[in-house]
Amino acid sequence: MSRALRRFGLVPRSLGAAALVLLSAVPLAGQYSDPLTAALAKLDANSKFAIDVVMDSARSIGLSDMPLRSRVLEGVQKKAPAVKIVESVRRKFGFLRTARSALGSVSNEELDAASAVLEAGGKPAQLQLFKVRPKGREPLEAFTDWADLITRGVPGEEASSAIIKLWQDGADDATFHSLWNNVQADISQGLNPGTALQNRIRETPARTVTPQSKQPPEGQQENQSSR
Amino acid sequence: MSDDAADVQRVLAGDVDAYAALVDRYYDRCARFAIRMLGNRDDAEDALQATFLRAYKALNRYQERDRFSAWLYRILVNQCRSIAARRAHREKVFVREEALLLNAPDRAVVWTGEDEEFVQRVLSELDPLLREAFLLKYIEELSYEEMSALTGVGVSALKMRVKRACDRLRERWERIKND
Amino acid sequence: MTDSERHPYVELIAREARRPVVTDQAARQRIMAAVRAEPLPRRRSTIWGRVIAPRSFTLSPVTGSLLAAGLVGIGVLAGALTSNRVGRPPVGQVPPVASGLPVSLQASDTVVKFVFVAPNAAKVSLVGDFNDWTETRMEKAEKDGLWSVTLPLSVGRHVYSFVVDGAWLVDPKAPMAGDGYGRTNSVKVVTKGSTL
Repeated sequence: MSRALRRFGLVPRSLGAAALVLLSAVPLAGQYSDPLTAALAKLDANSKFAIDVVMDSARSIGLSDMPLRSRVLEGVQKKAPAVKIVESVRRKFGFLRTARSALGSVSNEELDAASAVLEAGGKPAQLQLFKVRPKGREPLEAFTDWADLITRGVPGEEASSAIIKLWQDGADDATFHSLWNNVQADISQGLNPGTALQNRIRETPARTVTPQSKQPPEGQQENQSSR
Repeated sequence: MSDDAADVQRVLAGDVDAYAALVDRYYDRCARFAIRMLGNRDDAEDALQATFLRAYKALNRYQERDRFSAWLYRILVNQCRSIAARRAHREKVFVREEALLLNAPDRAVVWTGEDEEFVQRVLSELDPLLREAFLLKYIEELSYEEMSALTGVGVSALKMRVKRACDRLRERWERIKND
Repeated sequence: MTDSERHPYVELIAREARRPVVTDQAARQRIMAAVRAEPLPRRRSTIWGRVIAPRSFTLSPVTGSLLAAGLVGIGVLAGALTSNRVGRPPVGQVPPVASGLPVSLQASDTVVKFVFVAPNAAKVSLVGDFNDWTETRMEKAEKDGLWSVTLPLSVGRHVYSFVVDGAWLVDPKAPMAGDGYGRTNSVKVVTKGSTL
């Protein structure tokens, strides 16, 4: 991608640490095909049928089918057996629907994140605690970190309690993110996940105000990773 | 004498509790029809309540040579029609979705594909007379003669309704497939 | 049976509709309570001759159509089937490029740089919900083994992974979520960035 852009003189040769490019809206050459149709064509008729039924169900009750679509495409790319793809799509639909029952009409992103919490092991009743909220406050970061902590091995109840308490204390996205970052660093250094969470929770201020979240400079976000 | 006829005789002889045996025997099956026909459990329960009460009051009209189930279903079908006619504008077919999900044991409900709501939604798209015929034929698995006796509609008309219901479903599938 | 009636979708609906429903005892008890409040039905008693009997159901065409008209309102679907493409980008505005990257830029998109350090890898790609899980090749900076790619992402939640010489690896610096296939992906929450 970057090579293509360089060829057209749109990107400086050296990448550098902050070489961000605002891509123009000029469409690049390519086909106008639907990847989902192509993916489904690789499955047997029964599986395709079952998936169509799930996606139809989602649309009919006003849920976005994008997360389901993504599951199918991911499954096909991972060469998962068709029966696993069907199972995965069905489960995702169930979690999305449960999330909406718990939270009401929130954004699709929030439902997606909430469904990940449920899939990790969080409970609908716990999600419900996030339903009523001050205007403008969104638990997207909270849900993301919640699902992650459970996935990393923090016992479900401990992770849930910690996240819920932080939320109820008014923690902002930065606080959630910071907690998550510290806990995952501790875990990756060998600390027991539950212990790591308990340690870091103790460090978190008891009551955090919700100021404007710290935003990265406009137009720029970085995702540094190391191996 | 069938169990049904025997229980009817007992009720007519004064043993009210014998009616409970009839209710137990037929409630679930009638409930299935009522829910599929009306699309929600509240209306279905009203229909069932009215059906079993009417059947009780009319027990002396039941004749042994009739199949009790057919006789009961005649009442049930009529009750479903009455209730549907009284509640003309109902938008939400799945009334208790949220309550069910939130009161579920503390695990996220996993949708298995065998979903009552999915079926309700599909059935609710059928014209009620087509739906009724479809249900009697494929869910109650009655013969056309039995259906005719039950609904008062001629056999050929019923066959046409069943065929049209299946056509609608097939068309729906074509639409979904090409989405 | 006609072809319609043998159609697999029809059979599916019939099969699903035949499934027993779960009922509760309370409803039956209510029925018995109501029944017990009634006078006993007496056999062949003229007193009870006026009890409401099951109606005869020969419907005239007029009655039938009136009934149908009255019943039309049941179960009106809240959302149309074919036209309700909830959450889907408008058709025709998502041209994928050769590398499989959808370039659909809207005012709420933000530009994000993905970075992965793998000095010894021969090939590193990015896969995620934003490119339909097809590989977007990443560029290696010669000096520090840093692979990167910069993409526009819509504001919201995205799920992704790196494919490093064929192996799917999570981003060690990002939150994880189950992928639904027994493994995990990484999660990126994109907040409001620049507008175009």
